[in-house]
Amino acid sequence: MSAERGNVKILVFTCRWCGLIGADGAGRKRIELPASYRVIQVDCAGYVEPDAVIRALASGATGVAVLGCHVGGCRFNDANHPALKRLELLKTLLDTTGIGGRRLLLGFGTAHESHQYAEMIVDFHRELEGMPSMASWLPQGE
Amino acid sequence: MLDQVKQKAKEILEKKEADGVLGLRKGLFDVIHPHVFTVPSELDALVLEPKWLFAKMARAILREKPQAWRLAVIVRGCDERAIVELVKRNQIDRERLLTLGYACDMDQAKACLCSRPFPQKLDAGAAVEGVDPLADERVKAYLEGDAGKRMEMWAAQLKRCIKCYGCRNSCPICVCVPCKLEDDVWVERGVIPAEMISFQIIRAFHLSDTCVACGACQEACPVGIPLMTLQLSMREALKKDYNYEAGLDANRKSPVLFDFAKEPRPGQAVPDWVDSMGKKP
Amino acid sequence: MAKIGVILCTCFGEIGRVVDLESLKTRLEADPAVDFVTIRDSLCLPGDATRMQALIRERGIGKVILGACSIYGKMEFVRLALAREGTNIRTVRAVDLREGCAWVHGKDPVGASRRAANQLEMEIALLQNRQDSKDVAIRVQQEALVIGAGPAGLSAACGLARLGFKIHLVDRGSAPGGLLNVITKTFPIDEPGPEKIKNLVDETGNNSLIRFYGKTKVSAVKGYAGDFKVSLAGPEGNTALRVGAVVLATGARVLFPQGMFGYGKVKNVITQMEMERRFATGAASCKTAVFVQCVGARNSERPYCSTICCPLSLKNAMRVMDENPGAKAYVLHRDIMTPGSVLEAYYRKALQKGVQFIRFDADRPPEMRGQDQVSGIEVFDTISGVSRTIETDLLVLSTPFIPDPDATALARMLNIPVDKYGFYAEVYPIHPVETRNDGIFICGTARWPVASDQAIAQGEAAAMKAASFLGKVDLSALTMSRVPGGKLGHAVADAAACTGCGNCVAVCPYQACRLQRTGNRSVSRVIKVRCKACGSCVSVCPNGAMQMPEQNYRAVGEMIRRAFREVR
Repeated sequence: MSAERGNVKILVFTCRWCGLIGADGAGRKRIELPASYRVIQVDCAGYVEPDAVIRALASGATGVAVLGCHVGGCRFNDANHPALKRLELLKTLLDTTGIGGRRLLLGFGTAHESHQYAEMIVDFHRELEGMPSMASWLPQGE
Repeated sequence: MLDQVKQKAKEILEKKEADGVLGLRKGLFDVIHPHVFTVPSELDALVLEPKWLFAKMARAILREKPQAWRLAVIVRGCDERAIVELVKRNQIDRERLLTLGYACDMDQAKACLCSRPFPQKLDAGAAVEGVDPLADERVKAYLEGDAGKRMEMWAAQLKRCIKCYGCRNSCPICVCVPCKLEDDVWVERGVIPAEMISFQIIRAFHLSDTCVACGACQEACPVGIPLMTLQLSMREALKKDYNYEAGLDANRKSPVLFDFAKEPRPGQAVPDWVDSMGKKP
Repeated sequence: MAKIGVILCTCFGEIGRVVDLESLKTRLEADPAVDFVTIRDSLCLPGDATRMQALIRERGIGKVILGACSIYGKMEFVRLALAREGTNIRTVRAVDLREGCAWVHGKDPVGASRRAANQLEMEIALLQNRQDSKDVAIRVQQEALVIGAGPAGLSAACGLARLGFKIHLVDRGSAPGGLLNVITKTFPIDEPGPEKIKNLVDETGNNSLIRFYGKTKVSAVKGYAGDFKVSLAGPEGNTALRVGAVVLATGARVLFPQGMFGYGKVKNVITQMEMERRFATGAASCKTAVFVQCVGARNSERPYCSTICCPLSLKNAMRVMDENPGAKAYVLHRDIMTPGSVLEAYYRKALQKGVQFIRFDADRPPEMRGQDQVSGIEVFDTISGVSRTIETDLLVLSTPFIPDPDATALARMLNIPVDKYGFYAEVYPIHPVETRNDGIFICGTARWPVASDQAIAQGEAAAMKAASFLGKVDLSALTMSRVPGGKLGHAVADAAACTGCGNCVAVCPYQACRLQRTGNRSVSRVIKVRCKACGSCVSVCPNGAMQMPEQNYRAVGEMIRRAFREVR
């Protein structure tokens, strides 16, 4: 079975408080990251619809990351708790179908943890490289 | 058991506890169809089989009728759970609805892989013990083992989808109009088989905390995709993590809507991990 | 449809040397939604904003994408500068090509350029699909409710009344003053408690703007910031009020150390509050008095320090020695907490006076001796390492402040969070008297155990914060956010599509969603003032009836589709 190597596409949903500041810090520290990810900025991780995560996988992303503030440190009064619960449930479904819950990365950290942000992107990229190809699930011709 | 149900239904109509009883009727040429019985004499034609979920139908009937009109529904376990879920979602006014519950027998429970083949409010028949669906060999094949193999297996199943929307239409809890599955943004339209990830996974996930395991989607599917199996692991996860089961308590909303303080996990208030790859700071 | 202008910045080569801006320009110009693409060396130097604004005006466009550094770099300032020049800031978006692209993909120029193109195209999709939230203006009621008339509540009420706001001051006691009413001497200057707040109490009585409601409880608070509808239940029946802000100064109560050191069974084992009563009635005569600190505090159940018990014991120990000539006073402590210059001097004074301090360990607490009447206390002195028994006829236990159950019920009513012990929680440490609900402020011991002078200071602080909130007479809901530049928008429920399932009502962390019955079904409605645009409701809505216009599902869907699009 072919692997995803060379075809890693990560869509990152990041809250503008922690994830985005972490990304910013990683840039300032000139940490070299794989150019395989794209960022969609949201106000809170609570905004990320599970359907949007699914849509991203259906549109050819090989992995989706949802980055928010620490559980307990949400700027929106713990709006990230239910988000975490929902997305964990989605991981269960992805595991059931064999697509793999590992394709969905849930990362909750604080702002200024830019090294952690960078590490997360690099590790996720590496993990996805080794995963089996999702081609059988995608429309023909892609 | 049929006589018992008939008797109860007759009592309900005679005592004016409800204005109509929704059940199955054997009509002309022995055609069986849902029917609202309003006079006790009609009830002779009442039958219980085949399995038919009335939850969504009850909702539609109650919306049409005036506020004072009350309906009694003849339900089995799954149907009652579906009604509870609809009550929870403000689709049915509990005050206007009565249930007349009867238990399924062991063979039916086995056929449906039903873990709870009886309603909570049992009026007729004796409850039999449920079947653990996760112990079934056929189910195990779809849920356990090598992920890569499972991925191919599910792909092969879902590829047969002809996008008839039967799973959605037959589901007793899918009531949204418009539906996300008809929106181009979420699911590409005019494509058969349906985009597998978006159509199937979105549909399955929307029912993650709602599915009452009635199996209607699976029965409705013309190409025989084991759709109910898709929900089992999520139902199991909710049960394990939050002790939550859909359709049991109309006053308890899904735990995924609340933070960890309001709906804590047993023994763990707030997860201490930082990312789902399993690393800790 | 208004077209989009894209302004790219080379950042004097910082971006330009990695990202191929010229081919990016060619690629973006092919997009029919793009009006122009221009490349500059800088966007943040003096005069740049004016020049950009001239170009924007000349092309007659309203939507701008800045491809430069991140908003945490310079772009927030550039956006604000453009807003000053007259551009609508809500349609100016920044894409970080520097921190997010050039600096992290420096060794992969091809990948960086591809990513830059995708990110810019995603932003174009967002701008094409975004809509504007409708703003609402709230007429702020120029009155405030202060709950609790202790030192914190009194100073909050007086502070606000001095600025001309009408104040409703509510207390469950019959007279203002709170706990200080029963204290005959306060530290550190031995002033009687009522004396300390006399001028505040007098002001409360004299200022016609303050109305005091004694023996009154708050039975309901509805509405939202700027327009709370409050019901009070008092001796004269119910009162309905409409206030713009609420200050919570509900105080705390003192822990009764039931079962500790024989409290409740053995005579002359008392709490500090009972000691105060003995002083007040002149029944405090004794030969020796031993004060035990941290009883029921700084343990696993209540790890916090109650802050006032150390100075309190110093005061009472000295008072015992003053009032009973020849009497001895001991303070058994784990650490003496007397921060600041004044309290430290107070501690020195007690040392000089001859109060004896013995430090014990939390793992080896002192043990009370005596059956019906206390006769002594055995303590292991950690400094000298020996165990000794002090003969005493009075044992005073310093117990901490604990939250009042009434205050907790109030917090639930107002939907403000409490910390894990039950005290009101501030929104962040940098906003010490504000809560996560706008228009509700906290001060005094209800939010953390403090001494009366600090409670007074906090009351002042809460008053000033409340005043600055009440000062905005017409409050725009879109500005009610701690985000610089206002909040993203408001969630809006499509009444035709909403099924009334109530998921949004359950998930909203600000109780901004409500179900409204229309005909035979329920429909969700968003209270715009409460909404903080976190988007939780959007993500749990089963059919997308709930949307954030600024980042609606069409925008997100299109962004996802463009995220990895390749050209050619």
